[in-house]
Amino acid sequence: MPEIRTAFHQELEDIERTLLGVADQAEQMVGKAVEAFTKGRLDLADEVIAADESIDQTYLDVHNRWMNLMARQQPLAGDLRLMSMLLHMNTTLERMGDQSVNIAKLTHASDGLPRVETIVERIEEMGDLVRAMIRTGIEAVVRRDADEARLLPAMDEPVDRLNRDMYQEVVRASDDPRRLEWATKAMMVSRALERVGDQVVDIGEQLVFLLTGERVEFDEVGLGGLPHGE
Amino acid sequence: MVNPPFTRHTTEETMNESRTDTAPLVSTAAAEVVDAVMRIEDVDVYYGDFLAVKDVDLQFARHEITALIGPSGCGKSTVMRCLNRMNDLIPSARVEGKVYFNDRNIYDPDVDPVEVRRRVGMVFQRPNPFPKSIYENVAWGARINGFKGKRGEMDDLVERALTQAALWDEVKDKLHESGYSLSGGQQQRLCIARALAPDPEVLLMDEPASALDPIATLRIEELMLTLKEQYTIIIVTHNMQQAGRVSDRTAFFSVDVDERGQRTGKLVEFDFTDKLFTSPSEKETEDYITGRFG
Repeated sequence: MPEIRTAFHQELEDIERTLLGVADQAEQMVGKAVEAFTKGRLDLADEVIAADESIDQTYLDVHNRWMNLMARQQPLAGDLRLMSMLLHMNTTLERMGDQSVNIAKLTHASDGLPRVETIVERIEEMGDLVRAMIRTGIEAVVRRDADEARLLPAMDEPVDRLNRDMYQEVVRASDDPRRLEWATKAMMVSRALERVGDQVVDIGEQLVFLLTGERVEFDEVGLGGLPHGE
Repeated sequence: MVNPPFTRHTTEETMNESRTDTAPLVSTAAAEVVDAVMRIEDVDVYYGDFLAVKDVDLQFARHEITALIGPSGCGKSTVMRCLNRMNDLIPSARVEGKVYFNDRNIYDPDVDPVEVRRRVGMVFQRPNPFPKSIYENVAWGARINGFKGKRGEMDDLVERALTQAALWDEVKDKLHESGYSLSGGQQQRLCIARALAPDPEVLLMDEPASALDPIATLRIEELMLTLKEQYTIIIVTHNMQQAGRVSDRTAFFSVDVDERGQRTGKLVEFDFTDKLFTSPSEKETEDYITGRFG
């Protein structure tokens, strides 16, 4: 069947490619931010903060292009659902960048404080899990694979659990005020990583909507543990 | 005023009906019409030996706007013209199947097509006022359908129809000027007033805004949204954004081409417009409305 809206569909593909590139960047930023915090590397923290400027710029650029397509092309059906996913992804990826920046800033704020090794291990584990979720999310989008998207809430479950348990770890560090101060910052890092996990799950939900036309809330069907925002 | 063989149903009456004899529709489980003013059942339309559109089952919900969309030659205008027997005016045309208006098959031999057209009014693509005054254009619509009221009653009727067509304020001081003195958009609203004058129940609109500028188009669309409170509207449009802006339900028609190259229209999908424009059930609909159909 001949394609008659070539320019429009190419622009849609191009926006998606741009966003998948941002998702790659976001995954690397999360990794770098976690390494900066757990190893006290201020140089890496500064790299993360600098990289976020490019994510913010791409966010604005994609948003403008999205608005132009909406105004000029009035997409419908599958195109409209793809537009919905792209808008959502754009916002979500920009926020992932912001969460990485939060972690980078916490690295600066905790500079010189004694680290708690058990918490370091947990933060590293959360970072690995969240990065794997981002990779899975990207692959699911690239392959248009709803089954892969449906794996995301299960992958998010241990992230949520580690975040919930972090409180106990902080209490254990409360014997020393300086260790406690660092642990409190670590709790905020944990929270930032937990948010990134939820954001990847959101992208999965958008993908399922794109592919099936059905709105799903993964957490509500009991696949993903506690509601968002926990 | 002539009434039988058609009985005007009030909303209250029809809400108490439970209709179980509705034919299955095409990809439309979610859009089943409970209170249909008109129903098309197993309709084929021929022009001579040529099958123009085949096997259509469709229902039109009371006080809703239903849009018929699809590529050229898909039969959407042909189907619309079955609804007030306008196809009778084409000598070679033949309609097989049943078209119900309030439970009466309008193709039954004892049904008067003029009465059908009084109850099912029509507005055409190009504004086509008569070369008469604004007043006479509307009054004609009533007279041709047997209105024999006194002058004062006719004045009231003309005012009512022009008000319903959102034209009264613009023409009340020049009712006896020619209909041609109006702008294109006003002329089309005059034609809508003329169609409303005989007090129809259903209004058929065949691309009513395709000859109008964007502002006049939006006024017609706003008018349609007001009119559906009193009438049932069926619109054929090539403009999918227009169908999206005004209609409650949409029927998508397409074309089958046989080995001899003969093209026959068919109904592909009928659903709520929200559903059809965001998540259509049929790939053919998706391909057409996203421009993947040449």
